[in-house]
Amino acid sequence: MSTTLTAADTASRAPERKPSTWTSMSGRPPSTSTVVRTTLLVAGALAVVAPLVWAALSSFKSAEELAQTPPTLWPHNPTVDNYTSGLQAFDFARYLTNSVIVTVAATVLTLAINSMAAYALAKFNFRGRTVFFLITLATIMIPLQVILLPVYQVVSSLGLTNSLLGLIIPPAATPTGVFLLRQYMLTLPDEMIEAARVDGAGEWAIFWRIILPLSRPALAVVAIFSVIWRWNDFLWPLIVAQDESKQTIPVAIARFASQQAIPFNQILAVSVVTIVRIVVIFLLLQRQIIAGLSQGAIK
Amino acid sequence: MTAASAPVRERPPRGRVHRGRVNTRRLAPYLFLLPNMLIFAVFTIWPALNGFNLSFYDSSNGRTFKPVGTGNYSAILSDEEFWAVVRHTLVYTVGFVLISTVLAMALALMINAQRRGRGAISAAYFLPIVISPVVVGIVWRAAFDRERGMVNQGLSAVGLGEPGWLVEPSLAMVAIIVVGTWIHLGFYAMILMSGLQSIDGSLYEAARIDGTTTWQAIRLITMPLLRPTLMVVVILATIAGFQSFDFIFTLTGGGPVSATTLMVQYIYENGFSYPIEYGLASAAAVILFVVVFMVTFANYVLGRRSDSI
Repeated sequence: MSTTLTAADTASRAPERKPSTWTSMSGRPPSTSTVVRTTLLVAGALAVVAPLVWAALSSFKSAEELAQTPPTLWPHNPTVDNYTSGLQAFDFARYLTNSVIVTVAATVLTLAINSMAAYALAKFNFRGRTVFFLITLATIMIPLQVILLPVYQVVSSLGLTNSLLGLIIPPAATPTGVFLLRQYMLTLPDEMIEAARVDGAGEWAIFWRIILPLSRPALAVVAIFSVIWRWNDFLWPLIVAQDESKQTIPVAIARFASQQAIPFNQILAVSVVTIVRIVVIFLLLQRQIIAGLSQGAIK
Repeated sequence: MTAASAPVRERPPRGRVHRGRVNTRRLAPYLFLLPNMLIFAVFTIWPALNGFNLSFYDSSNGRTFKPVGTGNYSAILSDEEFWAVVRHTLVYTVGFVLISTVLAMALALMINAQRRGRGAISAAYFLPIVISPVVVGIVWRAAFDRERGMVNQGLSAVGLGEPGWLVEPSLAMVAIIVVGTWIHLGFYAMILMSGLQSIDGSLYEAARIDGTTTWQAIRLITMPLLRPTLMVVVILATIAGFQSFDFIFTLTGGGPVSATTLMVQYIYENGFSYPIEYGLASAAAVILFVVVFMVTFANYVLGRRSDSI
């Protein structure tokens, strides 16, 4: 391919884009393009986080200060009133409990059943394997949004509406999870399993003691996916948990924010409370989360 | 957990492979598959098949149904509201896909070239995708507030007035495209980044020796080799666009006067909030199903190809 390129424009600057083996940067002053690029990237990054920072700062302002012209950036008289009154109007503890129960239970269930299915598809030869694998892939193409009405009918005829089980079980069999785990398990050596069988280990013991511990990196990725999905799920809990006592944070906060009577700054305070957790978790695990989500999307 | 108990029984080690052991082994994969497949069958496959069937029935309460043949489809195709929803969904999806992929591409190229502060910069752009879309909608609704919102405060500071973002139909459409892009930009950029990093570095080395400029390198090496990954992003964005619902629900509520009501909200409202128009909802769901299925199928086919490169 390089032969088709001509030496047209050698004078100005060497190509900035480099593979990861860049070593000769140190000692030289940064080039103009480096400065421009860094400025653009940083300005863009600030613009992306700006609404969140603005929301957090505004949540500490009084209603008068929010309406003030010219607007203040930093709260002049920081107050936690929005938080105390916001959390009084919004039963945070209950929704948090529901959200935590649903997220943890659904994630554990997802990891258990997805890894079992993935193991069968990756390491056994059996009649129907291809069919089961194709079914798994096909379900990737059936998002909840398009089967909303029929799946609601199933859940309601099973009596699972307005119950946390109705929020936990239906989304637990994620095709993406099965697929990611299967791809990972394919790379584990078959000899190991054969050796364990010769030593007399049962099939469940092989799965539980050998396959699962070795699949930890893939399980971590699926766990990250599952926690983020279930924590942020909205449409499904919106239709299944119509009863307030079973609502998760997203459904409850959407309802809370739609009430005209709730002041703007209190809504921001409650939003900040709900975001802060996931932001902290993200900052702690950013490397794994970014790698997991973006690589998971391609496979 | 049915598979948990069955295979373990054959515990005691034997010198030779026992007949019962072979049977367990033959049965094991089915037992391992059972729980996952059972949930698939009950909560995905059966509803998917039944969805087509349902679209030939109508109901005004979600409990009693009467068969109407293809009546739902003829009703929906002559429903002005439905066509408005189709139009809005297409405008949103095209705008969102174009803007978010172009920006994500530029961002990925820039971050990939960046050495200093790369981790922190990536994290800032990526952050929105992990935040609950419902809360994203709420925060942005406040940010788009006419007088007290961040956006108009910034605009009026530079003398650009105070546009009514969420009160004017076309501006509301701009607002949901902006927020949709804000949510997905960093995520798509990171997907493109992993594509960029799989390009063989020696190609750039050779091009540099031959004296190519940055732009030539991007055009002649990066773009062709990145095309499969780019296609994946375009398709992911298309699917996300067609399925957008939650952040719009809290950002504009589908308004003003349904200017930002997209397909999923149309299905939700006709199917679950009064007055219930079950027939319209289920016909719309089948139409969306077909669209999404085709796009995802393309994703799978192209995704396979990107793996083999």
